Amino acid sequence: MQLTSKTFVKPESKLTGLFLENPSLMLMMEHFDLSYVVHDKTVTQVCNENNISLELFLSVANLYNGFHKTSHTVNSSADIMTVIAFLKRSHYYYKQEKYPEIRNLTEELFHLNETPEIKLVGKFFDEYFEEVTEHLEYEDQVAFPYFLSLIDHPGVFSAGSKFSADEYLDHHTDIESKLIELKNLLLRHIPVKNDRSTRRRLLFSLVELEYDLTIHSTIEESILIPGIKRLESGMNNG
Amino acid sequence: MAESNIHIAIIEPSDIIFEGLSNILLKRKHLRIFRLDQLNEAFEAISKEKLNIIVVNPSILQSQKTLFVSLKKGNPQVCWIGLVYSFWQKEALNQFDEILQITDSCETIGVIIDRQFKLNETVHTEAASGQLSDRERDVLIQLVNGKSNKEIADTLNISVHTVVSHRKNISQKTGIKSQSGLTIFAISNKIVSLDNLSL
Repeated sequence: MQLTSKTFVKPESKLTGLFLENPSLMLMMEHFDLSYVVHDKTVTQVCNENNISLELFLSVANLYNGFHKTSHTVNSSADIMTVIAFLKRSHYYYKQEKYPEIRNLTEELFHLNETPEIKLVGKFFDEYFEEVTEHLEYEDQVAFPYFLSLIDHPGVFSAGSKFSADEYLDHHTDIESKLIELKNLLLRHIPVKNDRSTRRRLLFSLVELEYDLTIHSTIEESILIPGIKRLESGMNNG
Repeated sequence: MAESNIHIAIIEPSDIIFEGLSNILLKRKHLRIFRLDQLNEAFEAISKEKLNIIVVNPSILQSQKTLFVSLKKGNPQVCWIGLVYSFWQKEALNQFDEILQITDSCETIGVIIDRQFKLNETVHTEAASGQLSDRERDVLIQLVNGKSNKEIADTLNISVHTVVSHRKNISQKTGIKSQSGLTIFAISNKIVSLDNLSL
């Protein structure tokens, strides 16, 4: 579900129309823990009903619609909690939905094209996903608890915290480059042998995973971390 | 090349000329000759017979310029040789990759065919390995065997710096950086086989 020039989401935009244009916004709704059957409601209405900051929602929705410049950063503890809950739900989506789906497709691919290189593609994806899982667990166990502790005690650096913004960003780069390699292998290098439609489904699925992961990283890097940095310096206004 | 044969089609109305040229060509090994009556038959034959070279009398092309242009464009791997035994304008001859004159000696014909044979070979090996140079392939083989930059430098008798620059080029050409990704690349391009790998 690659995105090009979609509508810029505004407060008065009707959500259903946006979903029809870009179905991955429905996934975003799931990550926000919102229903995507919203009848004729506008963005503002849905945000008010569910106590979600309109600005935050617009920034994330516009990321999904391909507008990767966002000036909004979390500026309240409620925002931070919303974002963390959003990210946690997307972790669940990667681990419980995408991973088994892609794993099954790599197995199906090997069934159709029993070559050592296809077998190794499955192994490559497993190793890749192990790295992803490590990062997600780092977020769940180290980063998020640290962020939440800052809400309670802004400006208090927890000396015991193992969180490091640099390490966090390094993980993101690794995760992205491995997925690109996998796509290159399937699209440029490994010869197709009666596995064409399965390979296409696998590539689609990888692209979907990549897309959500990219947005995931962007939310962390440009919406969450800058807000956290302000909290670290004790300028919390939430 | 996957098959060492070179496939040549001849589009020439005269039986005498066709037979004569075929006999000269067939003195060489690894050649297969096909005869086509019409230019439009080339469409099918190029892919079906895996043609490398098409020898054609320019008079055949006269009323079929557009067809010829689209054939050439659609099949850049094919070498087009004009078979000339009467006077032709320069423009008419410029559209060919090579020219064979009726007065050419057997040796000259051999030289032209050889030239194409070599070109074909390079195109094929390059496509198969993602355009890696021989040295890059050597480095790749060492890499997928788990050798460090230093070990590779020692084995191939080059500096570590050179190894690093080969690695950079490999990644750039293939879009693959990690060792496991490169292993898959090397196996699918038959640069290494799984039996030789310690995985």
